[in-house]
Amino acid sequence: MSTARIHGATADTVRPLSIDAEARLFFRLRAQIAWATLRTMLATARLRLSLVVFLSAMFWGAVFGLFLEAFHFLDALHAEVIPLLFNAFFSSLMLMLLFSAGILLFSGLYCSTEARLLLTLPVRAEAIVAHAFQTALWFSCWGFVLLGSPMLVAYGVMRGANWPYYVVILPFMVSFAVIPATVGAILCLVLVLWMPKVRAHAPALALVAGCLVLVAIGWWMAGQGRVEAPSTTWFQQTLSRLSITEHKLLPSWWLSSGLLEAARAGHDPGGSLLESLSFLALLVSNAMVLQLLAAWIAKHVYRTGYSHVIAEAPTRRRRPLGWVDRMLSGSGSAAGRPLRLLLLKDLRIFRRDLSQWSQFVIFFGLLGLYFFNLRSFNYHTAYASVIGYLNLAVVGLILSTFTTRFVYPMISLEGRRFWILGLLPVGRDQIVWSKFLFSFVGGVVPCVGLVLLSDAMLGLPWHLVAQHEVCCLMLCMGLSGIAVGFGARMPELHEPSAAKISSGFGGTLNLVVSSLFILTTVLVAAIPVQISSLTAALGVPRLATRGFLSWAGGPQGLVASYVVIVALGIVATLVPLRLGLHAFRRLEP
Amino acid sequence: MIEFDHATRSYGRKVAVSDLTLAIPRGELFALLGPNGAGKTTTIKMLVGLLQPSRGAVRVCGYDMTRDPRLAHLHVGYVPDEPCLYDKLTGLEFLWFIADMFGMPRHLAAGRIEREIENFELADFADDLAESYSLGMKQRLVFAASLLHDPDVLVLDEPMVGLDPRSVRIVKDLLRARTSEGMTVFMSTHTLAMAEEMADRLGIMVRGRLRFLGTVPELREQMALETTSLEQLYLRITEPATDDVATRAESRDVR
Repeated sequence: MSTARIHGATADTVRPLSIDAEARLFFRLRAQIAWATLRTMLATARLRLSLVVFLSAMFWGAVFGLFLEAFHFLDALHAEVIPLLFNAFFSSLMLMLLFSAGILLFSGLYCSTEARLLLTLPVRAEAIVAHAFQTALWFSCWGFVLLGSPMLVAYGVMRGANWPYYVVILPFMVSFAVIPATVGAILCLVLVLWMPKVRAHAPALALVAGCLVLVAIGWWMAGQGRVEAPSTTWFQQTLSRLSITEHKLLPSWWLSSGLLEAARAGHDPGGSLLESLSFLALLVSNAMVLQLLAAWIAKHVYRTGYSHVIAEAPTRRRRPLGWVDRMLSGSGSAAGRPLRLLLLKDLRIFRRDLSQWSQFVIFFGLLGLYFFNLRSFNYHTAYASVIGYLNLAVVGLILSTFTTRFVYPMISLEGRRFWILGLLPVGRDQIVWSKFLFSFVGGVVPCVGLVLLSDAMLGLPWHLVAQHEVCCLMLCMGLSGIAVGFGARMPELHEPSAAKISSGFGGTLNLVVSSLFILTTVLVAAIPVQISSLTAALGVPRLATRGFLSWAGGPQGLVASYVVIVALGIVATLVPLRLGLHAFRRLEP
Repeated sequence: MIEFDHATRSYGRKVAVSDLTLAIPRGELFALLGPNGAGKTTTIKMLVGLLQPSRGAVRVCGYDMTRDPRLAHLHVGYVPDEPCLYDKLTGLEFLWFIADMFGMPRHLAAGRIEREIENFELADFADDLAESYSLGMKQRLVFAASLLHDPDVLVLDEPMVGLDPRSVRIVKDLLRARTSEGMTVFMSTHTLAMAEEMADRLGIMVRGRLRFLGTVPELREQMALETTSLEQLYLRITEPATDDVATRAESRDVR
């Protein structure tokens, strides 16, 4: 394409860019945005940034320590299992990268204002797709690196690998990540173009497909019968099921084999750096070929696909959940009607917002899958009890991320619509209470179910199940109270982005307080039961008859733990709500 | 400069723009009017390449917007109804990004950026991140960006939304000056007074069809009403029962 073909008044001042120049321009754009984002965070969200860095470092260190111990243990007993673990780990991450990149790319290419701007500029379609791809790759890769790098470094340390091993880790990981992400990009482009009836629902479909694949894998991994864990039979069965991940055409196998070769190179006669580099070359060449294919497809289909997506006919909304709406708005007393209508509004917004319910389904779905698979292991009662409390804490922590991300910003998000609420015959207290009820009911249903599932799969006795359910109820109530109360106490009425609201100081404080509340509640619940189990298991009668441990491990300790848990729940609910209500009544929007 | 050649765009079964044939010459300011849902935004999206026609073609400076979008875009400046900016870029960085996208030489781009900053009075906030801008400031920045490369065709979708009276005056003066230098302006608006004041010709769309094409006096003539204001003419022509004028308008050779 030459400037000679251009005619008109602009011919002297403009020229189409080369593909290299377009790539450089987009790189500079991403660098400028990243730098500005970092500067803004350093200026306005230091607490959050410090927490993110600190917790990431803690997480990295913990995973590194865990893998180091595990590798030492396995190396002494079953060294042949390590390649299998590598393959299983990276093949599952490959699947996750494929779906996450596809979903992120759909959002970036077809639903963003950036795409709307770029498509009106003289830039190649494939350059826009490459720009969106690199952004999506960055977002979907950080988790991969955070999980994968401590494992690989731990393996190198255990194996006593030479420096070339550590040098090739990053190139291996990046070239590997590009492959599933590019496949996800190609699927996204083709799906949008060739499936006109479903293109508007592409993210939901990808999500459902991803969940189905995970459920299928989980079901298959769970096997058919209950076996004693950890037993030789269970171990053999698990190895046999994982062997599918060792298929030689899988990029995860190339990655695993290349890294294992690199770790052995120099001190093990079986290892060769050259062999390792040949696997790296295999990954890089496949990634490049796939990139070329994606660019070719993007060049031919992206603009048409975009045109199709924005021309999607607004279909008449079917109302499969209309009965819920009618029930909520029509039932009950007239006095409670405004509250129910506010609840109905939030419910409709929630179920029509893909980003909210999809994350809800993914996280609680995966948790359910994990709990369901607990039936495969016949844990000893003491282990089962500890795992039950850990599961309870995990359910609470996941709920706290939702209350921070979605519930905490709810009051702030009313900011631009505040005049609507202000003109309605609805008290401000009712607005706050409606948010609390919405959060509590929305959280309690899946959480109580999940805890029940976990306890049933672990085969816990009924008194522990009852205690876990009471804890769960208090956690749901307290977390809702904290999120709504803090949200009303520190509203940001002029900020339209929920993500920005939740990532500010108030959101971070909400997350920290929520985490402390969860940990305290679970510890208070666990201590009496664990002391009781420990004294029984160790057979130390003096522990059972004297002092605090004796008191805590007895029936009175259990009763006291119930009292403290309920008191904590009530305090965590009422104190923030009271603060929030007080502030919200006096708020001048 | 701008050619719609039997351009049709459907949304599923609904025809949003039907068989639009329209030519706008160099240096003309054309205003497209019509009620909500008439097809104005669809027409503009086809003109700037966001939507491809289901049938027919859209050409800018002779380049087909579907087949040669990059070459066509080199000649187009676009101001959308909702400004699209990067929140984490400053106004100045955004202007440089646009200038670079159009492949403008650095020295020329620097001069043009300075010129547009002065024209749209952006100097006070050009170094701030766009996330801190008001709607009016964003709109002025988008105007500046759209004019950097001195486009042959400027496409405006509800251009005055969010602008204060002083900015509106600046935009009107600029549009007059640029059209007199040969730039073609295609503007969609609901502001009838502005259309009457600025436009060389009007197009009135109703339910995806161009019901009228011509000047305000021509509209009066067709409606057989001598002294009626554009508002009354517009309301008459967009009434569901004015098929007689529609038929006449459609049967004319609108080229």
